Formats: sequence, C-alpha cells, structure tokens
Amino acid sequence: MQRQEIDQYYAESYIPGIIKWGKITSWLAVFISFGPALVMWLVFKTLPPVSAIVAGFVSIASAVGVIWIVEPISYFPIVGVPGTYMAFISGNISNLRIPCATVAQKVAEVEAGTSEGNVIATLGMAISVISNIVVLTIGIILGTTILNQLPSQILTALNYLLPALFGALFVQFSFAKPKLAPFGLGLGVLLTLGVRSGMLPFWITTFGTVAGSVFIGVMMYNMSKKNLEKKHE
Amino acid sequence: MDYLVIANSVPMWIAAGLGVGLVLFQSFLFTKKSLAAGKKIGLSDQQMKSAMKSSLITSLGPTMVILTALLVLIVNVGSPTAWMRLSFIGSVMFEMMAAGFGTEAVGVTLGVDEVTKVAFANALWTMALGSIGWTLVAVLTADKMDKAQKKLTKGDAGMIKVISAAALIGAFGGLLPPHLLSWNLNTVSAISGAVIMGIMMIVSKRYSDKTWLKEWALAIALFGGMFVAVIV
Repeated sequence: MQRQEIDQYYAESYIPGIIKWGKITSWLAVFISFGPALVMWLVFKTLPPVSAIVAGFVSIASAVGVIWIVEPISYFPIVGVPGTYMAFISGNISNLRIPCATVAQKVAEVEAGTSEGNVIATLGMAISVISNIVVLTIGIILGTTILNQLPSQILTALNYLLPALFGALFVQFSFAKPKLAPFGLGLGVLLTLGVRSGMLPFWITTFGTVAGSVFIGVMMYNMSKKNLEKKHE
Repeated sequence: MDYLVIANSVPMWIAAGLGVGLVLFQSFLFTKKSLAAGKKIGLSDQQMKSAMKSSLITSLGPTMVILTALLVLIVNVGSPTAWMRLSFIGSVMFEMMAAGFGTEAVGVTLGVDEVTKVAFANALWTMALGSIGWTLVAVLTADKMDKAQKKLTKGDAGMIKVISAAALIGAFGGLLPPHLLSWNLNTVSAISGAVIMGIMMIVSKRYSDKTWLKEWALAIALFGGMFVAVIV
C-alpha cells in the first residue's frame, strides 16, 4: 500500500468504526458510573439529600473541573482518536496508558502521529487495560487479608515506581527530540515552582508544559523547514 | 446494618461488574478492529505481536502501584466499588479525594468519624459525578479534535508528528519536576530511572536486532529506579 492509501484506509475505514463504538461505549460508561449510587438508592433505599449530592459535586468540580477539559486536549496529540475514547473511560492515563502506548510504538518501530502509530498505540493501550483489570481482579480475590500481610517495605518501595517511570519516560522521549527536551523540562520546573509558591493554579503544570512544548516544537519545525527551502533555492 | 456489609453486597458487585465489563468490552473491540486495520495497512504480525507483548510487560510496574491503592480504597468504600473505580475513569488520588468530599458533605470525615450509610451513598454520588466530566469532554470532543488538528496543520504529516513528540515531552516535562524538586527518595528514584533508561536506550540502539531489549527497557528502568531509591 502507498502512503496515501494507508492514510485513506485509516481515515475512511478504521476511524469511523472507532468513533461510532467509542461514542457508544463512552455514553454507556457515563450511565454505568452511577451504578453503585443507584444500587444504594433503589436496593438499599438510601438516598442522600439533594443538597448533599450538590455539595459533593461542587467540591469535586471545583477541585478537578478544569482538568476535565485540560487533560483530553493535552493528551489528544499523543493518543489520537481511539486512545481518547479508551483513556477517558479507563483512567490512569499518564501512569499507565501513555507509557504502554509509546513503548508499543517504539518496539513496532512506528512513529506517533502517523496512521500506523495510532493503530499500534491503540493495541498497546487495550492490552494495558486488560492487564490492569486482570491484576486488580486477582487483588480483589486475594482480598485485603493476604495483601495486607505484604511487608510494609514492599509497599513503600512501590511508591518509588512512579517517579522512576516519569524520569525514564522523559528520557525516552528526549532521545526523539533532544533540542526540545531542555525547554520542556525547564518549563515544567518553572511552572512547578510557580504552583508551589501559590502564584499559579495547580492544573497549569501539565497543560502549560504541553502547550509550551508544542509551540516551541512547531516553531523549530517551521524554522528548519524554511532553512531547507532556502537551501533548495 | 454496617455500611461495609452493604458496600460488599451482591448488588454492588453486579453494578461494579457492569463497569469493569464495559471497559473490557471496549478494549477487546478496539483490539479486534486495530488488528484488522493493522493487517490492511501493512503492519506485520510480528510488529503487532511484539507491540502487545511490550505493553503487557510495561503495564506490570504501574499496575503494582494501582494495586497498592486498591488496598486503601477497599477499606473505605468496599471491594466492588474499589475494583470498579480503579478499572474505570479517574485515578487513585481522585477517588480518595472524591470519596472524602462526598462524606464531608454530610458531615462525616473519612478515617475519623463513623461512616454512615448516607455518607457512603454520597461518596458514591460524588465519585460518579466527579468522574463523568472527563468522559463527557472526551466523547464530545474526540472526533472534532481530529478535524481541528488536521486544519491547524493543513495536513502536513511532518507537523503532526512534531506535535505528538512535543506533547509527550511536555506531558512528562510537567509530571517529572514535582518529583525531582521534592528532594527526597522520589528525587533519587526519578533520576535513577532516567539514567537507567538512558543507558537502555543507548544499548538497545547498539544491539537493535535484540527486540527484547526494547520490550523490557522501560520495565527495567522502572524497577531499577525503585531499587536504587530503596537501597540508598
């Protein structure tokens, strides 16, 4: 298949099916989210006063409401259409879905942002969803009694996995764009310090570094493209 | 009746099972569609197989972290809800925060006061209402974002690749500094993970015929970083 045919197949045969089923499953997810609350109400006859439900909603919305909008936009260029539908019903995006999607792309030697890259990322994410659910289900079956007997050192040690993951991933992506990486990290450090000092809202870090890095990355790309055109003239 | 008896009852398991089942269904469906599409657009079986294998290996580390969170959540909201919430939208931090806000709204502080049935029910409402925001924004924007991206880049494939790569650097450039700047074992672990990954990248480039090096690189960096933080 030629490049054009591949992209055409991706856009006209693959993506429409993904959008259709992505929408169906996401809307179902919205309704199913209320399952446990509805069971409490209809089976166990316990419904909190409406004022309490509203108060709970207002608290959580003021804490994370901005992230509802910021995350899907920030992560879209990374995970694409299928990944967006998957990531936002399965959660754990930065710590699980994106690492798995990008490792899959690397091993399959396809580039992010291409048709092949998006198909492989979708496979990677799907496997991470299944593996996560299998492990959690085993955890639930073993139950708290057995899990609680794990030595506390192991539980503490597991806390260090996440920083190691973020450090490793940043290095991995830096290899692809070594000139851009210092800007991305520098921006992240500045924004983190700003948030710590109380001058900036907490949600700005990820959104600001993504937007800033994309802006600088596109500028670099345009500059090198212009230089290339000049050479050709 | 104690709220945890209700929280671990059969109807709760059914409600939670529907959520977990839906996520699994979507994953199997998308896998099937992607395998078929991959074949059509010229991806080899070998490429797709090793992609899936490497994802499985990579998922183990982060999943262990989620498993420890499961323990915290089980104690507070019961097994079925913990199982559903961690397979479904949201993250550990979010779920604990939402549960806390929910019980606070009826005057119960988690871990301090006795949790009443009403407080538990309100935690469930808050977790649901707080998490659907992500899904709603995603489902309402995903297909439009694709069109917007195409318009902004004017179909320049090189530009789309640059945006993806830059967004990755930005995402983790933003997630890493809070750990780097904490000046404790998190800092040690973050730097060790980064250094080990750097070595793994160079080695796997040198021996590019060894696919297993690429498949295991991130898992090795993860557990390596953790190991260094523990022995320091």
